[in-house]
Amino acid sequence: MTRFLDALANARAVLPERAVDAPSPRLDARLAALRREGLAAFEERGLPTRRDERWKGTNTAKLSSLSLERVGATDRFDEAVFDDPRVAAFDADLLFVDGRLARMSARRADLPAGVQVLSLAEAATEIPDVVAKKIGTLFDAKTDAMAALNAGFFEDAAVITLDPNTRPGRVIRVLSLSTGSEDQPAASFARLLVVAGQGAEGMVLLESATVGDAPGFSSVVSEFHLADNAKIVSVELQSGSASRIHVSQLRASLERDARFSSNVLCLSEGLVRSEVETSMNAPGGLTGMNGLFLGRDAAHHDHFTTVEHAAPHCESDEEYRGVLTDSASGVFRGRVLVRPDAQKTDARQSNPNLLLSEGASIDTKPQLEIYADDVKASHGSTIGQLDEEALFFLRARGVDEATARLLLTRGFAQTFVDGIVDEATRTLVAERLDEALVSLETAPEESHP
Amino acid sequence: MSEAPLVSIKNLHANAGETPILKGIDLELRAGEVHAIMGPNGSGKSTLSNVLVGKPGYEVTGGEVTFQGEDLTDMDPEIRARAGVFLAFQYPVEIPGVANNYFLRTAVNAVREHRGEEELDAIDFLTLLKEKMKLVEMPEDMMSRAINEGFSGGEKKRNEILQMLLLEPSFCILDETDSGLDIDALRIVANGVNQMRSPDRTMLVITHYQRLLDYIVPDHVHVLSGGRIVKSGDKSLALELEEKGYGWIDGVEEEGASS
Repeated sequence: MTRFLDALANARAVLPERAVDAPSPRLDARLAALRREGLAAFEERGLPTRRDERWKGTNTAKLSSLSLERVGATDRFDEAVFDDPRVAAFDADLLFVDGRLARMSARRADLPAGVQVLSLAEAATEIPDVVAKKIGTLFDAKTDAMAALNAGFFEDAAVITLDPNTRPGRVIRVLSLSTGSEDQPAASFARLLVVAGQGAEGMVLLESATVGDAPGFSSVVSEFHLADNAKIVSVELQSGSASRIHVSQLRASLERDARFSSNVLCLSEGLVRSEVETSMNAPGGLTGMNGLFLGRDAAHHDHFTTVEHAAPHCESDEEYRGVLTDSASGVFRGRVLVRPDAQKTDARQSNPNLLLSEGASIDTKPQLEIYADDVKASHGSTIGQLDEEALFFLRARGVDEATARLLLTRGFAQTFVDGIVDEATRTLVAERLDEALVSLETAPEESHP
Repeated sequence: MSEAPLVSIKNLHANAGETPILKGIDLELRAGEVHAIMGPNGSGKSTLSNVLVGKPGYEVTGGEVTFQGEDLTDMDPEIRARAGVFLAFQYPVEIPGVANNYFLRTAVNAVREHRGEEELDAIDFLTLLKEKMKLVEMPEDMMSRAINEGFSGGEKKRNEILQMLLLEPSFCILDETDSGLDIDALRIVANGVNQMRSPDRTMLVITHYQRLLDYIVPDHVHVLSGGRIVKSGDKSLALELEEKGYGWIDGVEEEGASS
């Protein structure tokens, strides 16, 4: 087996010049530049280390010591992945396997005019100019090694565009599966581009998961561009095996009066780095950022969020909830950046955490950088255990201790579930959460402070 | 009346944390009876109720408690609850995120399973729930809300009685259920309790105020002071206490209690 960086170097040698060949010279050039600049930047910077302020909470040595047998999609993946119960249950508009389109749904036909849900190859034919203009613009490969890596290696993308004042009328679903096996650990790079025109409204559900144990590395980069008065809800479900390192990077750019809501449910058993960053560039913007992460065994969840208030009269409301047990560790960094012009900003942030075992840990830090003077900003983080009074109350009503602990833990997570407005999605999220919770070991604790 | 008592408390000694509170309690509760326990603040009323339901932090240091002939003190709280011991809490907890109806069905089915009865499905449970809710005049929307979250004091106490109606315990303990209730709420709560009076069950009503006993008329009244029962009588004792306070009873430690 080959070490991570060597495997990437080998793969690079045989990589085509761009993700897909586009008939449009403009897009062709853009895709080639993305790849070229991504690879160059990654080569120069290498993997992030703990010296990097943004990566302080996570041991990136786990990444550099990872072995890989394959980088990117395979030309002949095992069609058994279609038997994965999630594939049938999810009925994705677009299904990606190891970062490359594997199946598209006939459901796409019910989308109204002006709503496109396309693979990168399709988009290169149908809407090359939009893609050329927007793809990769929310990331700076020079300062972000992980984004550079994705830009250098991605082979396909889900491209969703909503023309002005359109609505899909239903949730657009994208499923991204990663494969691999004990002797074939693999790296994959997935990408999502969402462009919402003025006044467009929609909801995108992206699930990233591994098929079986699938050891390896996966990177997902998502870009959301919201024009004036657009409204987009993003729901991201992250799950993965204990031997998977998953890096998810979401960026959203909001113009005047745009509203964006990000909802991240992270149930991975491995190492996760999940970044959500929104930038409100014009007045009237609204960002909602909700997260729920649940770590067990030796899982490590690093949630790194940034809300940028770059214009006056914008509002942000962020709540990340963490539940950690066994020897799982969590990191929450909540950066709120209020630029000098961003007067009348209203920014709220909270990060309550529930530690269910002695060995679990959370490293939480809000980071407020406020350069305007007429601003409302609040933040708070808490670390606690299950409420002993509540636990006793439930037992005094005949509920056994394990079930009582489960009920209280589920109750802690409920605000995240309630925040998802679409009923079918809320049900799906609740199901995923319940499955994960039932398998949790909520052993009684010896002592409580 | 000659049968064995349903609940028998003999020379019960107990600590709250490290502090000895109960110093030899003797009580026999027979099926069909309602006993009231009154007493000044700090006399051990709440400790007694917490000990009976097995709350962590309370330790039995001597004596015994049997329920239906079985030693209660070694049972986990959930086992006592399933066997039919119920405490209506003085201060019901709020539990955000856990819906009342979901919790109630979980509790009812845990008790039914213990009794060898079939689990109630969602629809059968709802029918039962609606029937019991009427008895305590609770609006239906309260059921889909989180347990006690945002409930008024009276609503919390009604929720306790609702739980009692649903779980059908045979040993009901009410710990100052009347404290802080206005007359209307008290009437509703008392109605719920009186629905539960039956020849098969016994009730221990702990209160600070005689007023409750106008609505839930006891067969026996006991005065608890300094961790002991210092006087017992019939319902007229409560009226006498209301009129004269506790000072006239031998063994009551005077502490300027509010009553």
